Amino acid sequence: MARVGVFVCYCGANIGDYVDVPKVVEEIKKIKEVRFAFDYKYMCSDPGQTTIKDAIIREKLTSVVVAACSPRMHEKTFRKALLEAGMNPYLLEVANIREHSSWVHQKDKVAATKKAVDLIRMAVSKSIANQQLHEISVPVTKRALVIGGGIAGIQAALDIADAHIPVLLVERSPSIGGRMAQLDETFPTLDCSQCIMTPKMVDAASHPFIELMTYSEVIELQGFVGNYKAKIKRKASYVKFDACTGCGACWQKCPVKVDNEFNFGQGKRKAIYTPFAQAVPNKPVIDAIHCTMLTKGKCGICEKVCEKGAIDYKMTDEVIEREIGAVVVATGYDLWDPKPYEEYGVGRYKDVITSLEFERMVSAGGPTNGLPIRPSDGEVPKTVVFLKCIGSRDESKGISYCSKICCMYTAKHVMLLHHKVHDSHSFVFYMDIRANGKGYEEFVKRAQVDTASTYLRGRVSKIYQKGKKLIVQGEDAQIGQQVQIEADLVVLANAIVPQKDAPELARMLGISYDRYGFLSEAHPKLRPVETTKAGVYLAGCCQAPKDIPESVSQASAAAAKVMGLFASDRLKKDPMVSTVLIENCSGCQNCIPACPYGAITTEEIPIMRGSKDLRTVAKINEGVCQGCGSCVAICRSSAAMLSGYTDLQLMKEVIAL
Amino acid sequence: MLVLKNLQHNEFLEKVNQKSGSNVLNCYQCGKCVSTCPVSGYMEITPRQVMQYIKLAEDEKLFAANSTWYCLTCSSCSARCPREIEIPRVMEAVRHLAIEANILPDSSKIKSIKKFHDIFISMIKRYGKMFELRLMAEFNLRTGQFFKDIALAPKAIGKGKLKFKSEKIKNLKGLKRLFEMNQKLESEIQNTENASKHESK
Amino acid sequence: MKDKKFTYYPGCSAHGTSEEYEHTLNLVCKSLNIKIEEIPDWNCCGATSAHVMTENLALALPMRNLILAERLENSTMVIPCAACYSRMKETKIRLDEDFSLRTKINSTVDDGDYKGNVAVKSFLQYCFEDIGIEDIKEKVVKPLKDLKVACYYGCLLTRPKNIAQFDSPEYPISMDKIIESLGATAVEYPFKTECCGASFSISNTEIVLDLSSRILDVVKDCGADIIAVGCPLCQSNLDMRQKQIEEKMNRDYKIPVVYFTQLMALAFGYPKSELKLKKHMVNVEKVLASF
Repeated sequence: MARVGVFVCYCGANIGDYVDVPKVVEEIKKIKEVRFAFDYKYMCSDPGQTTIKDAIIREKLTSVVVAACSPRMHEKTFRKALLEAGMNPYLLEVANIREHSSWVHQKDKVAATKKAVDLIRMAVSKSIANQQLHEISVPVTKRALVIGGGIAGIQAALDIADAHIPVLLVERSPSIGGRMAQLDETFPTLDCSQCIMTPKMVDAASHPFIELMTYSEVIELQGFVGNYKAKIKRKASYVKFDACTGCGACWQKCPVKVDNEFNFGQGKRKAIYTPFAQAVPNKPVIDAIHCTMLTKGKCGICEKVCEKGAIDYKMTDEVIEREIGAVVVATGYDLWDPKPYEEYGVGRYKDVITSLEFERMVSAGGPTNGLPIRPSDGEVPKTVVFLKCIGSRDESKGISYCSKICCMYTAKHVMLLHHKVHDSHSFVFYMDIRANGKGYEEFVKRAQVDTASTYLRGRVSKIYQKGKKLIVQGEDAQIGQQVQIEADLVVLANAIVPQKDAPELARMLGISYDRYGFLSEAHPKLRPVETTKAGVYLAGCCQAPKDIPESVSQASAAAAKVMGLFASDRLKKDPMVSTVLIENCSGCQNCIPACPYGAITTEEIPIMRGSKDLRTVAKINEGVCQGCGSCVAICRSSAAMLSGYTDLQLMKEVIAL
Repeated sequence: MLVLKNLQHNEFLEKVNQKSGSNVLNCYQCGKCVSTCPVSGYMEITPRQVMQYIKLAEDEKLFAANSTWYCLTCSSCSARCPREIEIPRVMEAVRHLAIEANILPDSSKIKSIKKFHDIFISMIKRYGKMFELRLMAEFNLRTGQFFKDIALAPKAIGKGKLKFKSEKIKNLKGLKRLFEMNQKLESEIQNTENASKHESK
Repeated sequence: MKDKKFTYYPGCSAHGTSEEYEHTLNLVCKSLNIKIEEIPDWNCCGATSAHVMTENLALALPMRNLILAERLENSTMVIPCAACYSRMKETKIRLDEDFSLRTKINSTVDDGDYKGNVAVKSFLQYCFEDIGIEDIKEKVVKPLKDLKVACYYGCLLTRPKNIAQFDSPEYPISMDKIIESLGATAVEYPFKTECCGASFSISNTEIVLDLSSRILDVVKDCGADIIAVGCPLCQSNLDMRQKQIEEKMNRDYKIPVVYFTQLMALAFGYPKSELKLKKHMVNVEKVLASF
């Protein structure tokens, strides 16, 4: 005989103001199987839970219904309460009378109350048919994969490795370092970017628990939390890393010159190259598109000058498979091409450049040895105009968001320019100044007060060439007048955008992304480093624009999540998985392609007990099954069933209504 | 001191939005329009400020300014506005509301600009097509600028650019009716406006 | 090349201040075997004044022309004047989008029911899209070699973007490409679409003098011999008022301003005497002496 306990929550005013809770309890008590009905202001609270536990023992309940908020909120909490009272936690049923009644029917208390009663009645019926289920445990592969070797990826890898967990750090360019390696100095301290990052890069390369794979890309990820299988393509570098010492003889003698993409086309690199002087690993790769040996069979100079015999023109791409327990995605950002701003003469005038191009120029290791020059004639600019919000906050260009870091790095550029060219003057056109980090406001003040700069609130409408100068036409909104400046150089703070292939990567990993291509976090406030896929975490700008301290914090947070995941030897899993009723299974195998996780295979069983003849039935691996229900939907024989949501349980709900 | 009213129901903003097909509230005051506008230096209230005054329901202030009368409808501003606001249509909406309210800036320049438009429209009503010579002559006469373009006119006439004879369309009657019907439409709208004003009182 | 035909809306200045535009347009179409069918009894589109002062009248006047055009059964109506073209195109777009507006305005127009089945294009757009550069090049018998032309588009041939739906609002290239197909050099300069002062020519002349002088300054700097335009108002502002600007602002331009159709006709082999060059205020003969 079923003995159901029903616990109705007021949820403060959330339910109480729109549903007549005492009436609900009164109606529910009329159901034959309900032995105990109780209401309380906050069922999830300590006293609330104690009431449930006491009632289970005292009333010898066989199942429990909690009528409250969405099970997504507190199902776990209440299941724990049941467990503590000695009842199987899966005998709990949650009736959502908040999101499904009080919150959506605020104008009709009578109807909302009736609906709440109906929802609880359905839950009572289902709970009676609930079965005792037991958690499944799966093993955990204690190795992490970090995708992306920028500062976020490096930090995450170091933190995980310091916990003595092996990490595979994969980076697709020839060196780790990412965007931070392209910076000259960082705000608000004006630390030399390379100087603070290189020690971390070297640590990452030499850490006993980090396996560094540069010039490699993750091409496949299968499996589920704790049990992933990753395929990584190691691109052919044509240089044997074990033999190479990084002496540089090859790239010095290489005759082929290619536009240097690290410096945005300013200056050249060779066909065999390291992307920058402090590259880690300091081993070159050969660019197969431009190397004349690989494309035309001519040259071979690098092979001749290499004393270690490290060149191997016959090398091919390699695919490596690894078992992984968790993934941290730290693939970083790209910069928006400002070409759509035709009125600014982008691409038309050489002296209109982007912020990162300017950054490369002022970098000591950059194409002009740290001196800002005009690309058109090589002269040192004296009047420089900085434009902020190029692409960002511009719906006509499809980017509604703010890129967060441009206000700060523009102030930095103003200061750097002043240090390098003492008689220069900067103009900054802005809509707002966003300086909300620690020490940021003070930093901007330095740019505005201590250097020769003029900040103008207003946007620029047009830039055109007059003789050697660029005429910049804008508005100074504070005085309400059109202004015109004869500039030597114009620097555009272009928007931060996701990497072009971020959506592709997301689909490969099975995680979501937003309309811009930024990877989606599980909850923007409370779960900023997790994704909706268990075991896959996010760090850095691949999730949203942010500065270095935030990227580093997020990376450490993601590492902490990985460490938490790996803290036990086995992972507990919800038992709401599919099972096969082999008596009903016809062996049609339609469920196998329906399963997105590859959890279903077949097995041979005797036709009848004792018979030697066999027949094929489906077999579900409960460790892999994620309980999506696709097989249940497709099965024509009602053989596939989802534990906790069997046809019988669902029919009971329907009949109760 | 500008005392701001409770702007919960900003009728002026709603009318401008409805007439212009844009939402003035989208303007985030970036100033690109002022920077672009070839005549913003001549305007008493710049386009950006016009947006702000609309948000503050300061209709009479805008009606009394020369801004909407100086707008060339060149659409350079709206081509560049990051919030894609149709600024020329907003200026036009304000101007039309000023005409409806019969409030004009107190300047002879604006009065002569308005006279020009009135004469132009009367030419269309009279002939169905433009009679350029008469347009210039009447304008000079009615604005008291008898010697305006005195050097230019004979040269233009000499080159055959300004004709002495007017061209009329055949269906003048139909055109006259078109004018009358549209006049009726305008007064209908005015009457509903006034009626709803009385109701709300 | 197939025989083409379009419905033609001349605009009020076609028989007055921009006679040379219509005349050479006809010559160009003759060379290209294009038949022109003028709308019978068309009226003034309302130009600037109608929309400045009124809402409904400003739509009714163009609507009458659109209805009359639909009677002629050609698929496209071509308009040489940029302002008329802009008014008609905007009216068409708004009437096509908004059914109640269409009904309301149509009730004031006696000449029939608006169907919306005629496309509206400027003559520049028609040349670029429907005739095409290759066909134009074919007809060139007198290449305008070494002639440096600054193509001035003004405001309404490519703006507003959602009305004109043609070429670029910042750096258009259609006229430049046509000029180049005639053998001339289209000069690059940054003021192709800056406003000349438009309809303020009579009522607010000082603005026209200011704005047009900005354009003439930049054109002079870029070394052009001649300016090509596609709008009667632009032509009159830059040409008729050029001397006035020179006097008031102490400048020296002497840059002739012609319609791009005049250059096309010249390149197609028509003698200069037939191009109505004498209609221009700034002397054109000198610059075109070698052709």
